Amino acid sequence: MREQLLKSFVDMDEQEAVRIARELVDTDGGAVAVLDTCKEAMEEVGRLFEAGEYFLSELIAAGDMFNQIMEFTLPKLQGDEVTSIGTMVLGTVQGDVHNIGKDIFKVMAEASGINVIDIGIDVPHEKFVEAIKEHKPELVGMCCLITLGVDSMKRTIEVIREAGLRDDIKIIIGGGRVSQAVMEHVGADAWADDAARGVRLSKELLGKE
Amino acid sequence: MPSPEMLKLAEERAARYRAAIELKEPDRVPFTGMGGDVVAAYAGISSYEYCFDPEKSLQAIIKYLKDFPSDRPIGGMSGIGNAITQLAFLDYPDLTGLFAMVDGPTNDILGVDYIRFPGREVDEYSSPQFIGAEYMKADEYDELIADPVKFLFEKIVPRTTRNLRDLGSPAALATMARFGMHKARSGAFMQKQAAELLKLGYKSEPASFFLAPLDFISDNLRDTVNLVKDLRRYPDKVKAAAEALLEPMLKLALLGKNIGADMAFIPLHLNEYLSPKLYNEFYWPTLKEGILRMLQEGMKSQVFFEGWHDAHMESVLELPAGWGVGYFEKTDVRKAKKILKGHTCIMGGIDVGMVIASTPAKLDEYIKELLGEMMPGGGFILSPNIGNLPRETPIENIAAVYEAVEKYGKY
Ligand code: B12
Repeated sequence: MREQLLKSFVDMDEQEAVRIARELVDTDGGAVAVLDTCKEAMEEVGRLFEAGEYFLSELIAAGDMFNQIMEFTLPKLQGDEVTSIGTMVLGTVQGDVHNIGKDIFKVMAEASGINVIDIGIDVPHEKFVEAIKEHKPELVGMCCLITLGVDSMKRTIEVIREAGLRDDIKIIIGGGRVSQAVMEHVGADAWADDAARGVRLSKELLGKE
Repeated sequence: MPSPEMLKLAEERAARYRAAIELKEPDRVPFTGMGGDVVAAYAGISSYEYCFDPEKSLQAIIKYLKDFPSDRPIGGMSGIGNAITQLAFLDYPDLTGLFAMVDGPTNDILGVDYIRFPGREVDEYSSPQFIGAEYMKADEYDELIADPVKFLFEKIVPRTTRNLRDLGSPAALATMARFGMHKARSGAFMQKQAAELLKLGYKSEPASFFLAPLDFISDNLRDTVNLVKDLRRYPDKVKAAAEALLEPMLKLALLGKNIGADMAFIPLHLNEYLSPKLYNEFYWPTLKEGILRMLQEGMKSQVFFEGWHDAHMESVLELPAGWGVGYFEKTDVRKAKKILKGHTCIMGGIDVGMVIASTPAKLDEYIKELLGEMMPGGGFILSPNIGNLPRETPIENIAAVYEAVEKYGKY
């Protein structure tokens, strides 16, 4: 059943994937199997995306399937069965309301085992600081799709530094407006304008891979 | 009155642009210039003032264009398009054009929920914003398909526009009357603005506007993510809705002929989202048909291929050579040239991220290389990949780009 789930998930057969997952989840050890298989499937979808075979339409569909399946799977897992490799506070920076890319990245990061605290869109600088104080993440992810957001990221990072928190975290930026030059300009540690690469780099920043 | 030199300059600039569109080599590379929020910042005014005080905004534009002249400049952002209302009033051609751009005062009058203005819904220094939402439910596709214009007027305008919630009410009638009064004033100001800009050597170039029917549904009615899911869940309905919207959208774009427009601007949104399979089945057919039909009527298109368009480049070749301008955002213009040379005029090239984050020396080098590769053979318009430089853009970087274009832009 695991192979069938993996296959229908990766082939974007939503109904079939959800049906199998529902069946599998109630078998012995099924919830863990569903979780692991879906993570594997998401990773494969990410690979296909990076290879140019899949597109955002597939990432959105995959994220949607993942969320649907997790909704009935997570409640069936014991606390220690859900392991996390690190925590990330993630938000779209002040002035920018684009959320689709951030949401796609979020699901893929979660599927890779990162515990993501999503603080939303148009996030004021101080809210990043508060969230860092509250959740003590290893990583902070900032999403930015509009040029105005570049300066917003820069100021957010300054405010984080002023709060004395910069050395405790690694910062990765993503979204349509980021590049090596922008990363250096705003003072982040890594950048990615595609989710699969972003997940890979996040894991590297966490020292897992 | 503009001086004869300025009239001549305006003609030269327009000719340069035209030559590139006709895939020829002009005397210099046509350069759109780089505008955006920085235009207001350069004049020391807020975005709020830029959007609500026409006199200040005109002075800001004049100041910027005196220091940074180009061939067909893009000013700052002072309004947001409003295709919903335009289509809703499609049968009243004298009105539809007035709804094309919602400026600050217009939004105070109409109260469009998906538009936010600096100093009103967002802070004084932000640019105006379009915020999409799900204004149409999935079970309303049939109604949209049956009669798009009626559906938009009866259902969507009231849902999206605070002061037209109850269409027959005195409040709504008063809103329309106020709208008319404001448009009469702003129309007179636009004429003054055109005259002032002509004194600086810029002819006003009326342009038309067309949206890929699927983008209209996605941006304005269903929201992007929902639409992408709809493609799998209700494929036939989505297809029928795109087809139903084609004629109204074409009619709207062709109204531009009445004001002398010979080019339609078409910004693409869903292109980057869709796999070639979905693109070719759901998106491209109505877009292509739109471009071809406008061309038959003498109107070329300037398509803004937003995001990555790499996966769909070959489909552009299905259009006849000389169809118009392909403006690229993330897709490398060099790559576009390889595929589309002699077929499509290419526009873009300047990465706005570089202009914000780089140095004058690096930018000089960057423009030199870019022009060296893109100019030969003609058919190229230099422009930033995104039309909005933020307020904080270093002025020395902007100057460096204009100087580099001056230095390296001669054929
Ligand atoms: C869809 C869209 C919209 C939708 C947004 C819907 C939504 N809920 O998000 C709507 C129609 C509402 C919209 C509104 C506006 N938009 Co818009 N929009 C787009 C469009 C077409 C696609 C954006 C998108 O979703 N891309 C797909 C996602 C998946 O890509 P992504 O965000 O880069 O994410 C990927 C990676 O970057 C990565 N990732 C994402 N986040 C993160 C985070 C981290 C930490 C990491 C590691 C990775 C990562 O994973 C994702 C998957 O690979 C783009 C053009 C384009 N094609 O890029 C314009 C674009 C971004 N918009 C633009 C503009 C100007 C606006 C408006 C300001 C328009 C206006 N004048 O009102 C408003 C926004 C107001 C505001 N303040 O934000 C401009 C930005 C230009 C600029 N100034 O810089 C663009 C580039 C269009 C253009 N070429 O002019 N927009």
